[in-house]
Amino acid sequence: MNKYKFPLVLCFFFGTIPIVAHFVNVEWVTAPSKALNDTWMPIIYVFAILLGIVNVVQNSWTKIKRREQGWFYAVVLLAGLFSMGFFGFTGAIWDTFGGTNLRPDGSATPFHWMATHMFIPLQSTMFALLSFYVASAAYRAFRARNLSATLLLIAGVFVMLGRVPFGDMIFSWLPGAENTFSGITEWLMDCPNAAAQRAIMIGAALGAASMALKVLLGIERSYMGKEQED
Amino acid sequence: MKALLDRLEDLDRRWIYLIVGVGALLPLIYPLNLPVTITPPVRNIYDYIEKLGPEDAVIVSFDYGPSTGPENDPMAEAVMRHILARGIKLVVIALYPLGGVTMSQLSLDRVAKEFPELTYGKDYVNLGYKSGGIAVLKAMGQDLHTIFPMDLAKRPIADLPMMQKIKSYKDLKLAVSIATGIIGEWWANLVNAQYGLPVAVGCTAVSAPKYYAYLRSGNMLGLMGGLKAASEYEKLVMDGYPALRRIYERLNGPGAGGGYTAIKGMDVQSVVHLIIIAFIVLGNLAYFRSRKRPHHSEE
Repeated sequence: MNKYKFPLVLCFFFGTIPIVAHFVNVEWVTAPSKALNDTWMPIIYVFAILLGIVNVVQNSWTKIKRREQGWFYAVVLLAGLFSMGFFGFTGAIWDTFGGTNLRPDGSATPFHWMATHMFIPLQSTMFALLSFYVASAAYRAFRARNLSATLLLIAGVFVMLGRVPFGDMIFSWLPGAENTFSGITEWLMDCPNAAAQRAIMIGAALGAASMALKVLLGIERSYMGKEQED
Repeated sequence: MKALLDRLEDLDRRWIYLIVGVGALLPLIYPLNLPVTITPPVRNIYDYIEKLGPEDAVIVSFDYGPSTGPENDPMAEAVMRHILARGIKLVVIALYPLGGVTMSQLSLDRVAKEFPELTYGKDYVNLGYKSGGIAVLKAMGQDLHTIFPMDLAKRPIADLPMMQKIKSYKDLKLAVSIATGIIGEWWANLVNAQYGLPVAVGCTAVSAPKYYAYLRSGNMLGLMGGLKAASEYEKLVMDGYPALRRIYERLNGPGAGGGYTAIKGMDVQSVVHLIIIAFIVLGNLAYFRSRKRPHHSEE
């Protein structure tokens, strides 16, 4: 058995258990599936976070070592990662510095202070910048070049008006027309949008199912790395 | 006019940024207090919670981070105020890794202070964050105590009076996921579809369209899409509960007692949307003008 056959057998075995358990309601089949869901999967998910951290550290460290463009930002990233990681880990595991939440007297622990006074404002600022980019992009790209683009433009304007109180104020002087724009927006979302979303979801789900089948049967092996052809 | 349209085609983007910035700032200084109309997906959530009482329990999952806090915080807080005002048991969890638990803690602290007659552990709990997404949602359907053995303050949840009766989804009447990204979808297509627990989602406006498919299929009983929906929920609880009206009037007011609410935010969003629409109209006028010019070529 070469080094790729064993992972393939493992993948097939553990991937099949939940599928079988879904159709066969027998204790000796459902119990392993329950154990996989309740215990194994949350633990495996945590390793994904670890993988992400290792990846960020490796990439940032390479950038700093080679003095690539913007290397200083990589220093800031690593400083943030390690300082918050340090206070988060030690606080959560050993309750050092008062843990990760507020202290009983209401004062902030270092982790909580960094989260509320640095992480939250920085994240909010990044998201707030979107409105400026959206305005600029809409001005340049939202053009009635053809029929499809015109329909999209009209629907977009209706939704933009329907998603703010001002839209409904336009016809509020007409009895029974108070919810004109929010009503049109709801219809657009509820009918054409929901139909398109369903089509996308069904397509994506079928794609995911076929991909899962390919992985289970060992046809798709790229998750094991580059050397899969032996 | 023609010269102006010609110049508009090459408008420096910094002018757009400046106008949007001023448009966002002015309504914060001079509130417009625009009237809010209610849409059915939001009313459905309110009406469903209205049917619940002190013997029922609702789980509110913080599935968003600080980046969308200004949009998600008001809807989370309005729903929690409604739940606590009705004396319904409130279970708070967080499934979003990037700051979900901090958002839950800050929001619950803000809201719980307004209900001094309620007791932690008896009326509401915060079970904190658990990594794992779908795996956690599936496992909670079997046994919530295995997945969250301790609350955020590391107290065993078996010792919290209200949690002795809440063991899995069967003991809950509603799940409200305040979400950015995909976690809200998991509540609909996994928790509702497989366990039958009624689910409502509050999401950012940009991710609202995909949730309408779940709303139409009945996997969600209601939807709060974006800040407008949050302001609708605020209006509903203000109209329904005089005590909550007083809280929101204080928050909407100026000065030290003031705070951030969706109703306040809607003024800003209204003005910015109008500015964007005006820019789209101007951009198209400039575009049609340029098409009429000789030697015009489309890129």
